[in-house]
Amino acid sequence: MFEGVPVISIVILLPLIGAIVTFLLGKRESYAKWVATGFSAAALVLSALIALAFVIDPAPATAPGYHAGNGFFDYQFYESHTWIESLHISYIVGLDGISLPLFFLTTLLSFLAIVFSWDTKLRPKEYFGLMQVLEVGVLGVFVAQDYFVFYVFWEVVLIPMYFMIGVWGGPNKEYAAIKFFIYTHIASLAILVSIMAMYFQAGADSFSMEDIAVAGSTQFTRTFQIAIFAAMFFGFGVKLPMVPFHTWLPDAHVEAPTAGSVLLAGLLLKMGGYGIIRVAITTLPTGAHELVYVMAVIAIVSILYGALLCLAQKDLKKMVAYSSISHMGFVLLGFAVGVETHSSLGIVAGVFQMFAHGLVTAVLFMMCGVVQHKAGTRMIPSLGGLSKKMPIAATMMTIGFLASLGLPGLVSFAAEFMVFASMFDAWSTWLFLPILSVAITAGYYLWALQRSMFGPLTEKIDTSHVHDVSWYEGAPVGTLIALIALFGVFPYLIFQFINPAVEIVTRILGGG
Amino acid sequence: MEVWNYLETLIPQLLLILFALLMPAYDYMFRNKKILSVLALVPLVALAGAYIAWLFLGWWTPPGSTIDLLSVDPFSGLFTLVFLSVGIVVVIGSPEFIKKDRNHGEYYALILLAITGMTVVAEASDLIALFVGLEIAGISSFALSGFRKSEKRSAEAATKYFIVGAFSSALTLFAISLLYGVTGTTSIAGIANALTSPTSPQWVLDSADPVILLAVVLLFAGFGFKIAIVPFHMWAPDVYEGAPTPISGMLAAASKKMGFAAVFKVFLIGLIVSKTEWQEAAAVLAILTMTVGNLIAVSQTNIKRMLAYSSIAQAGYILIVLPVGTQYAVAGGLFHIITHAFMKSGAFLVVAAMGAAAVGERLDDFKGLGRRAPWLAFAMTLFLLSLAGIPPLAGFASKFVLFSSAVYASVSPGPQWLIWLAIAGVLNSALSLYYYARVIKKMYMEQGPQERIIVQPMLKVAVAIAAVMVVLLGVYPDSVVSACRHAAGLLFPGLLPGD
Repeated sequence: MFEGVPVISIVILLPLIGAIVTFLLGKRESYAKWVATGFSAAALVLSALIALAFVIDPAPATAPGYHAGNGFFDYQFYESHTWIESLHISYIVGLDGISLPLFFLTTLLSFLAIVFSWDTKLRPKEYFGLMQVLEVGVLGVFVAQDYFVFYVFWEVVLIPMYFMIGVWGGPNKEYAAIKFFIYTHIASLAILVSIMAMYFQAGADSFSMEDIAVAGSTQFTRTFQIAIFAAMFFGFGVKLPMVPFHTWLPDAHVEAPTAGSVLLAGLLLKMGGYGIIRVAITTLPTGAHELVYVMAVIAIVSILYGALLCLAQKDLKKMVAYSSISHMGFVLLGFAVGVETHSSLGIVAGVFQMFAHGLVTAVLFMMCGVVQHKAGTRMIPSLGGLSKKMPIAATMMTIGFLASLGLPGLVSFAAEFMVFASMFDAWSTWLFLPILSVAITAGYYLWALQRSMFGPLTEKIDTSHVHDVSWYEGAPVGTLIALIALFGVFPYLIFQFINPAVEIVTRILGGG
Repeated sequence: MEVWNYLETLIPQLLLILFALLMPAYDYMFRNKKILSVLALVPLVALAGAYIAWLFLGWWTPPGSTIDLLSVDPFSGLFTLVFLSVGIVVVIGSPEFIKKDRNHGEYYALILLAITGMTVVAEASDLIALFVGLEIAGISSFALSGFRKSEKRSAEAATKYFIVGAFSSALTLFAISLLYGVTGTTSIAGIANALTSPTSPQWVLDSADPVILLAVVLLFAGFGFKIAIVPFHMWAPDVYEGAPTPISGMLAAASKKMGFAAVFKVFLIGLIVSKTEWQEAAAVLAILTMTVGNLIAVSQTNIKRMLAYSSIAQAGYILIVLPVGTQYAVAGGLFHIITHAFMKSGAFLVVAAMGAAAVGERLDDFKGLGRRAPWLAFAMTLFLLSLAGIPPLAGFASKFVLFSSAVYASVSPGPQWLIWLAIAGVLNSALSLYYYARVIKKMYMEQGPQERIIVQPMLKVAVAIAAVMVVLLGVYPDSVVSACRHAAGLLFPGLLPGD
């Protein structure tokens, strides 16, 4: 369908043009949301068409824009143009089974977050413009196959998010914004130095991920791999986030506007996981092998510590934020298991967990936004019995919480179950540690639900004006819930993309 | 026509001097002083066009220099182009800023003369020419800093700048005389030859000879004052704060770069044989300069002082070219000098625009600027993010080349500790983000006065030129990077390629 069409670039350009149009609206600020919705919807439709046109099986050589990866990943819809010749930098983009689900997730969540922000009154032009810039950045990270381009997009993401938190955030927004910016920027710089070191050590005269990986398989010594993997792991891990570099996340989330939180947790955290699997593990397999226990321990600590912190939270949104730390720990655990056993199960589970968490956490943050919006507070002790006033919201929240705690039939179950199963293969009874989190997770979610939504109606806040969800809030959440159920029942719909790509990872790991 | 032969090489300088001398006359003739700025632009734009046609479009090539003291090559061409561009931006930005002052003719004349001096430094292949260029530029700049002589701050800045400048000139001159005494020549290439030639006496060939070392130390101090590296930086914030804001921009974006042109030539050509003697000192100075500059910038409350300290830090980044000492590093340094010229002069022009609208220079005066002057605030955001090295802006691209040269040199030819220069640079970039982001925060996230700021069209144009260049050099750096690499390769054939 897309033979010869630079379709990935078009998807990236759509929100970019949308952003420029939005910024140039001048006094007609009320059109901002329409422009943003239009362009992000177009990007969503196009990315869905890409997913349909993506050839999974068998011979992908017939696929549109197919590029064989020479031992590294195979891409479709591949585009490659020289950008800065004197520095050997090219604009290379492509999609494979790992990036495609995340690419689709990005266009989906961006579109829904824009719809969800329908009643933004404060500086709507800038708000919707920045949302689209953010979409451009995240999309670019998931498709870039040249380190320089990858890094450019990676950093571009920071600026709109900094402004989203800093301008439209809560009472302590300025502190949170600058903390987010500096924390993640330092992490990025670790990635930057690693990229430079890999470029020169590989000696391939190219910043292409593939060229560096191929040349690196013979050029990178063991010590070099360990050092650079550690730096990369730090850089990507901060974004993930992993304990002990997670402290920017609760601050950023608590202060960020709802749509900002949705994109932050739904997409920005995935960039960290994506970087680990696309870059760190596959380009530096020996380094990954050597540091697999570090990865596993940090993953398990993140899972448990994040979950325990959730129990202690009074702010609904902060609880959801900490739950992200716990759930992204599963991603890391899946990858660690994959590195240890060279089997694809753990890695597939990790990638799928990223997709699943993106859907689920978006619902959770949106519902926190609804509660804040309607009841005026998110503090659990002040809430109670809200299901009487907002039954639809209570239903949606319940489904969201159940999905997040891993109820079978919903999307997270498949991911977490596979992580547990693969971990048992690798480290047998040590499984008892991460599996503890299931009980804790169920505990904090159900307890929070009971205190905020059910029981007697609260008298601490004025509930006479509490209404149920508005259409622009209900529609995105409803869409997400439908997808959570769909992919929960038929996870194969996503696995079929992920599996062949992960086969390549395991092949690299086995040879490393 | 022997005289004409000599003058041919000097056409650019003669053109600048001619217009500089005409300025006071024009000042006398015209009542509307804006015409003066247009006339000052004539030689700058004409020359910049010619240099672009040469360096980037390849339409013509200047004949080789007919004067032994000067050499016209892509390296000097790039530097000259930087000086001319800064001159253009500063001249466009000036009329509004100085509209209430007197002596417009002298103002523009001094700018043109300062730029003349800088071009001489860029082209100098002999220490005497270098020194003369430094002095022409220096004396014009002293006078310009004191342009508002009735203003205490401005007069103080001029005095301070003059004393420090004279002092550093004396140090430089002393170093030159020592080198002349050792080698018997003032030609930069000649010095390098004498230090390696087998016909030289044995003690000259010893790169650790105390006289040569003394000259190296004096040169570090003399040039160190010019480019404001720590610990010779104290004058810079005071001068930048006191000088008229467009002139501060010129000092940071152009005068400083003139110092780098001199440093690169003297150390990487003339004294390259004794590199092992000064390599570590230069590395320490580089790291010290960037760190101290950034740390002090964090606590500044006056925007011009903050930008001054940020300039010091940026000088530290550029200084890593010396210890790394590869052609690739020189190209990175050149590229960073070019990008820095635009982002720093742009930032100073934003401050000047606010000054022209009677808004102060404190950080708090930036509160709510995003509402009061959206385009100005947007341009300032671009400049600051570029200074911090955020892609896809110019500052990122040039830092990328600069720091990666240190990473590569640590792999080969070594020594390995060179990678710490890159790491220090990267950590400093993170640190600098804090104070740059703080200004952005003030502009967009804090409430300030509501009334809009009227920005004069000329200033808008100047800021816009700088902003466009900052984006353009970031998104499409290829032609400039290859020009820098070409220039570095031609002028420093003795250095390793380094990539």
